[in-house]
Amino acid sequence: MQLTAQAGTVSAAPRAKSLWWRDVIGIVSIIALGAAGYWLFPDNLALLTRIIAVALLVLSIDLIVGYCGVATLGQAALFGAGAYAAGIACVNGVTEPMTLLAIGAAAGAAAGLVMGTIMLRAHGLAQLVLSIAIVQLFHEAANKASAITGGSDGLAGLMVSPLFGIFEFDLWGKTAYIMGLALLLIVFVALKFIVASPFGMLCRGIKQDPVRIRAMGAFVFPVLLKMFAISGAVAGMGGALAAISTQVVGLDSVSFELSANALVMLVLGGLGTLYGALIGTVIFMGFEHVVSAINPFHWMTMVGALLIAVVLAAPGGLSSLVEKVSGSRGGKA
Amino acid sequence: MTAGKKILGAAIGALLMSSVSAYAETIKVGIIGPFSGPFALQGKNFQAGVEAYMALNGKSVKGHDVEVIYRDLPAANPAQSRALAQELVVKEKVQYLGGVYFTPDAMAITPLLAQANTPLVIFNAATSAIMNTSPLVVRTSFTTAQTTTPLGKVAVDEGVRKVITVVSDYGPGIDAENAFKKAFEAAGGQVVEAIRMPMNTADFSPIMQRVRDSGAAGVFAFLPSGPPTLGFVKAFNETGLKKAGIKFYAPGDLTQESDLPALGEAAEGLKTSFHYAVAHDSPENKKFVEAATKAIGSADQLSFPSVGAYDGMHVIYKMIEATDGKQDAKKAVDAVKGLSWTSPRGPVRIEPETRHITQNIYLREVAKGSDGKYFNKEIQTFPDQKDPGLATQ
Amino acid sequence: MQTVLSIATDALAFGMVLFIICIGLSLTMGLMRVVNLAHGAFAMIAGYIASYAARDLGLGYAVAIFLAIVGTIIISIPLERFLYRRIYGSPELTQVLMTIGITFCVIGITNYFFGPTLKTIPLPQALSQPVDIGFRTIAAHRLFVIACGAVVAGGLWYLIERTSFGIKLRATVDNAAMSDALGVRTQVVYAVSFAIAIGLAALGGVVGAEFLPIEPYYALRYMVMFLVVVSVGGAGSILGAVIACLVLGLVDTTGRYLMPEFGNFFFYAAVILIVCLFPRGFLGRAQ
Repeated sequence: MQLTAQAGTVSAAPRAKSLWWRDVIGIVSIIALGAAGYWLFPDNLALLTRIIAVALLVLSIDLIVGYCGVATLGQAALFGAGAYAAGIACVNGVTEPMTLLAIGAAAGAAAGLVMGTIMLRAHGLAQLVLSIAIVQLFHEAANKASAITGGSDGLAGLMVSPLFGIFEFDLWGKTAYIMGLALLLIVFVALKFIVASPFGMLCRGIKQDPVRIRAMGAFVFPVLLKMFAISGAVAGMGGALAAISTQVVGLDSVSFELSANALVMLVLGGLGTLYGALIGTVIFMGFEHVVSAINPFHWMTMVGALLIAVVLAAPGGLSSLVEKVSGSRGGKA
Repeated sequence: MTAGKKILGAAIGALLMSSVSAYAETIKVGIIGPFSGPFALQGKNFQAGVEAYMALNGKSVKGHDVEVIYRDLPAANPAQSRALAQELVVKEKVQYLGGVYFTPDAMAITPLLAQANTPLVIFNAATSAIMNTSPLVVRTSFTTAQTTTPLGKVAVDEGVRKVITVVSDYGPGIDAENAFKKAFEAAGGQVVEAIRMPMNTADFSPIMQRVRDSGAAGVFAFLPSGPPTLGFVKAFNETGLKKAGIKFYAPGDLTQESDLPALGEAAEGLKTSFHYAVAHDSPENKKFVEAATKAIGSADQLSFPSVGAYDGMHVIYKMIEATDGKQDAKKAVDAVKGLSWTSPRGPVRIEPETRHITQNIYLREVAKGSDGKYFNKEIQTFPDQKDPGLATQ
Repeated sequence: MQTVLSIATDALAFGMVLFIICIGLSLTMGLMRVVNLAHGAFAMIAGYIASYAARDLGLGYAVAIFLAIVGTIIISIPLERFLYRRIYGSPELTQVLMTIGITFCVIGITNYFFGPTLKTIPLPQALSQPVDIGFRTIAAHRLFVIACGAVVAGGLWYLIERTSFGIKLRATVDNAAMSDALGVRTQVVYAVSFAIAIGLAALGGVVGAEFLPIEPYYALRYMVMFLVVVSVGGAGSILGAVIACLVLGLVDTTGRYLMPEFGNFFFYAAVILIVCLFPRGFLGRAQ
């Protein structure tokens, strides 16, 4: 049983030349959408910030699922590690937001190393189950250590000091949103460079054929482990952002449910493009928000129907649909 | 790709803007609760309580129309909780927040209240510490310590000196364990063993084996209501502990009315302490049950969160009355400090200092009614119970 | 000694419940290569049907089980025809997306029609009594569950290893195109094995209801457990699934007896250990 999806491999190598301007357009449109979100929905910034935090998590999953072919249902372990590290640091007097983000990234990367070391021992379904077991162990540990994590009551009372000493994290959430958006952009651009680098290419190669890569003389394990650390840092920053913007860290941030939801968002958007991760997160969470506001009792059916419809209409995820549309407009891109 | 992005953006925009709000004079109340997912039943009870109150007391206060907006928060998720609260306050312009089933969700909302100039009336979340996090919180439900404490004395009075405690390993479970231990040992009993079991336990027979081995004469249990309760009570019967005469004590979460049809015979004779039984005998409750049953659709689904919501709406109505429709959180909260009234559960009062509800706690026994249905029969009343959890902090 | 025996019996009963529910998933994942996360949803549908038949219509337990299995299979036919057939051979993650979508829909619909309360399936008198088995008393239905598990395991083994359908199924799994060319109607084989898997889920949902109570969230609540069991056993292997269920049942039950506080640590640490030692599960098929 090989748990890699073929959807990602299609977009991998061939179109290298024309890609740079597409990325510029892509990044500009993220900025435009981010700004549009700020102006159009000034009353929903907390939701948008939450979407950004989850988008970081989904991006981090794309790094290992979409680029390395390692299936995971436990990525929230890394997200939660970042969230709790930032939260605990904040409660203990480290209140500067940038420092907290760095702490979250470091904790996420460290957790990523642990997780990678264990998960890379197996393949396919077994790997998936290892990831589930790890996130459950993290969850149990956070629940058990209630003296420092607050257990199931949550870690409350995070008093984050103003960003750069000026901008407060308040009810309206402008600071948190703008900081989150900036963070997302920086991370996204950095990741674009990473996945296009020789290291990123090597990862894709491993995804497609680990045996051949090994035969070429490359060491597979350290390469994948490095990606796990990077992915952990990204997820950890997402967790730290969530902790800073909500001022509470709950057990849900290290749950299987969050991991599974995030994976669903990624597959919904499409694997292995980084754009898919963003599209999937925005569509899934936006849709969920809207239908659950319209009917708080029975919205789950609608979300289920959306997922089924996407599989039927665009098996490669929504981003493949976008490619198809733009492809048919401008001839072959 | 850009074209696609634009379409995408436009689509999301259209979706997000679809819920634009209405009139200025209407006073809006935002209710956050688990309306879907594993705790959907409790959320439905929130809604039933709110609708029952509005059906019995009208949909306007002093000429101000009251509009309720529900937001779904299926499981404990502080980030989503905060986002929902912020949206309700900033976008929907609600003047009052209510509901909240889980403690961490409440903890995520309380830091916003002062800036939002909005009081939060908690319909359920049962950890004592929430009240300390903001002066704008009022609670109309109960705390685990409050409902548990009388059991310590009950056990000793029944001649049980040695008890084993078995609780789910999470915040409320640990609160219950501590509260019971304190009360039981103060009354002269001894907790011989304290077991905390993982939340996702599905087979309870090994736990029952532990209970048997401990040699205790009674067992104190706390589990979240729903599926785990069913398995636990069944295992207690099937392993022969009930037949062996081991006494069973628990707060009323374990025998909530909506679980009783499923528990059936297995629950008969179980003693629990709680602030509200659907079968409570009073004219206020009769009216309430009738209205709430109509709102929820089926009598089998009615449970304790509905009364927390009902009284929560009462408090919110009083707040609206005191502020005459103007947004003034402090004045609103001040107005209900010391407020006392007769709730469907009996006489209650909002304690001025703690803003928590003081109420009767009842000892109940699961009995079979003349119609063949099981219900919680109140057999003893502990009047005017405050929250002992807060006193210790 | 008595305690050890007692724990072992509990472990056996719990393991067998897991087996009956999970073996269907193991077959879909191992033989048909479909990651059917909606497996629990079918078990739940069966539970609702059985509950309705036994409680509201007052039919017997055996009839209720039969109706539940048939009813669930009937419900699954259009799903197989219109949804699952599209994802045979798709990448696993696409299958995950589709089947999670189906699960969400099923949860939403059940919640709408049956409400969020727990549903029980009343047991017949003979099964609800405690039985004395020498060293302890045990609920009769636990013995019934153990027996069911043994029958299912034996029956499946016979079906797959000893009948002509089993030969066709194995051939289809090994090489669908070649089997097709040799005259095996692979579509039919797939449809039938899907129905068998669903039927097993239904049986498990009903007889396991005493352990895993029926409510709308059932479909998601136990998904992790099912996945873990299947992969520890090795997808597609009946004997592997039996071993996995017994081992995990034993670890879970003993863990919860000896150290309930750390029951989950125990369980998942064991899972990690087993998976590291047997990366394909106990008796997984070669890839």
